[in-house]
Amino acid sequence: MSAGAPDLPENGPGSWAVIRTRLGVALVLLYALASGAAWLKLAASATGRSTPDEISTYERRFREVRSALPAQGVVGYLGRTDSAGRTPAEREASSLLDFKHYLLAQYALAPVVLIESTEPDFVVGNFDPGRAPSTPAGFRIQRDFGNGLVLFRRSP
Amino acid sequence: MTPGLGLSLLVSVTTGVLLIRWVWPDTTAAWWWPLGTALGAAFGLGLSSVLLYLWMLVFGPTRGFPVAEGCLLALVTAMALVRLRRAPKAVTARVRPEHPGRPSGLLAGAAGLALAAAGAAFLGQLRRQPHGEWDAWMNWDLRARMIFRGGEGWQAAFSNLIPWSHPDYPLMVQSLVVRSWLYAGGETLGGPALVAAAFTFGTVALLGAALAALRSASQGLVAALVLLSTPFFIVHGASFYGDVPVGLFLLATFVCLALDGRYGEATRRFAVLAGAAAGFAMWTKNEGLTFVPAIGAGLLLSGLVSGWPAARRRLTAFGLGLIPMLLVAASFKLRLAPRNDLLATLGIERTIDWLTDPRRYYLTLREFISHLATFGFNGFGSATWLLLAYLLAMGIARREVDRVWTRMAAVVLVLMLAGHYVVFVAMAYDLPRLLNSSLDRLLLQLWPSALFLLFMAVRTPEEAGFSLRGAKPA
Repeated sequence: MSAGAPDLPENGPGSWAVIRTRLGVALVLLYALASGAAWLKLAASATGRSTPDEISTYERRFREVRSALPAQGVVGYLGRTDSAGRTPAEREASSLLDFKHYLLAQYALAPVVLIESTEPDFVVGNFDPGRAPSTPAGFRIQRDFGNGLVLFRRSP
Repeated sequence: MTPGLGLSLLVSVTTGVLLIRWVWPDTTAAWWWPLGTALGAAFGLGLSSVLLYLWMLVFGPTRGFPVAEGCLLALVTAMALVRLRRAPKAVTARVRPEHPGRPSGLLAGAAGLALAAAGAAFLGQLRRQPHGEWDAWMNWDLRARMIFRGGEGWQAAFSNLIPWSHPDYPLMVQSLVVRSWLYAGGETLGGPALVAAAFTFGTVALLGAALAALRSASQGLVAALVLLSTPFFIVHGASFYGDVPVGLFLLATFVCLALDGRYGEATRRFAVLAGAAAGFAMWTKNEGLTFVPAIGAGLLLSGLVSGWPAARRRLTAFGLGLIPMLLVAASFKLRLAPRNDLLATLGIERTIDWLTDPRRYYLTLREFISHLATFGFNGFGSATWLLLAYLLAMGIARREVDRVWTRMAAVVLVLMLAGHYVVFVAMAYDLPRLLNSSLDRLLLQLWPSALFLLFMAVRTPEEAGFSLRGAKPA
């Protein structure tokens, strides 16, 4: 018996108090066991991965663009202009994907501030790979990095 | 992990532990290293973040910071050594378990295995998502990059041209990531991962150590076991969001107030530390701003139980600890942070419309009940139902010594939930979507503190008249 409880009949071996507390601890152990199994499964599934994660892969596309941009300041961003999809749900998903690409571009190109606008002098075009870039009016292509990435500069 | 990253954590934790050691009231409560270390680690992280912010205001995010912090560590070490030499040998009270027998081998083994499994899962999650989840890289990591890469122009990280990145969010997580990169000498994905691991496992350590000190070693192990087994806690901890970090500081506040409940008549230091911890919570997420008034109200209401002189003493000391962080947070909000996007889009008329719409109250209440009931579901059952069953099995410990604290903590947690409820009703534009995406995270912030409260209140296995095999009585 523990220091906190004297060995009385109501909490002696086999008493309801003891059974109840053992059940309480057993529940916690079972809960921990279920989570532990899930943890090991998660760890094992991650160990088998050989491909890099989506963000690192996406970010790699922007490495050269970053070095071609000014070190600081505000830069424009032009993504896909047509949200593909036949149903409203598909169009919403497509629009969300475009927004994600913009966020990823900002994440990759920090510390410049990337805004979805053609107001700044430099504009990064992030299009579907293989698609011909559409140059915004008043801009010229400063550099085409391939893979759908283009840097536009305002024409003098 | 580069040596620089390891050093960044070591300096932060060591400084925090030594500072806690320095202010620890030895004549009232004996130093107990597991609790002191866990508490010190939390304070060290908070302090490092604030120091870097202040440094950046003057010098920017420069490589001189680690050197300056190293000098501070040397100073704190000297202060702690002097304090130790002068410390009185006689100790009048002890912060030690009242059932100080060794914990049950079964529980210790289970907690050890759970820690290993959760650690493996945490690493697995990092491998799958080394940049964290969506909100992490688009808010916290992006801001850290903008500050670190920005050099002299680091303040562009708070541009209002990118409101979706929430540039008004407090700087705890981002600054610690920047700090880790300054120590490492460059950007590495290990930086945010280390910060996330420190907060996640630091929370488990603080919960376990505090309960071991204030209740019993077995109680600390059971609580740590539940926290380590809460699926969302580990997975979300590895996602680099700010919810687990803010949860650590909420917990640290409650732990310090529980210590104040035990030793507050002889020393104000624990209440001052509680104020500082609440300030760090405010410096971590905007939700911390609602925590401070909730704690204030809880402390005030505690006067009903403890008497007004004690409540006034507690509130004054808490406020003393809070003031420095209030000033730091105010300087950030006034100097750098743009207006909060949620507040910026609010209109009086629309808010009144929402506040007078009973459907919003019903929907929010329904989701609160549903998310609370299923929180921590892991296939076996939800953590909420598990703990309810555990509470029924063990029973409540009617302990006069923690009566004031227990009621105060319960009031604060209820006020926090009520505050979140009102914010959802009054401010959420797309209510179902926001409830779905944020409610579990808000509950997670309170989860370690709720566990602490529950296990402070529930009888320990020993008190429940149950001898676990392997447990050694005192």
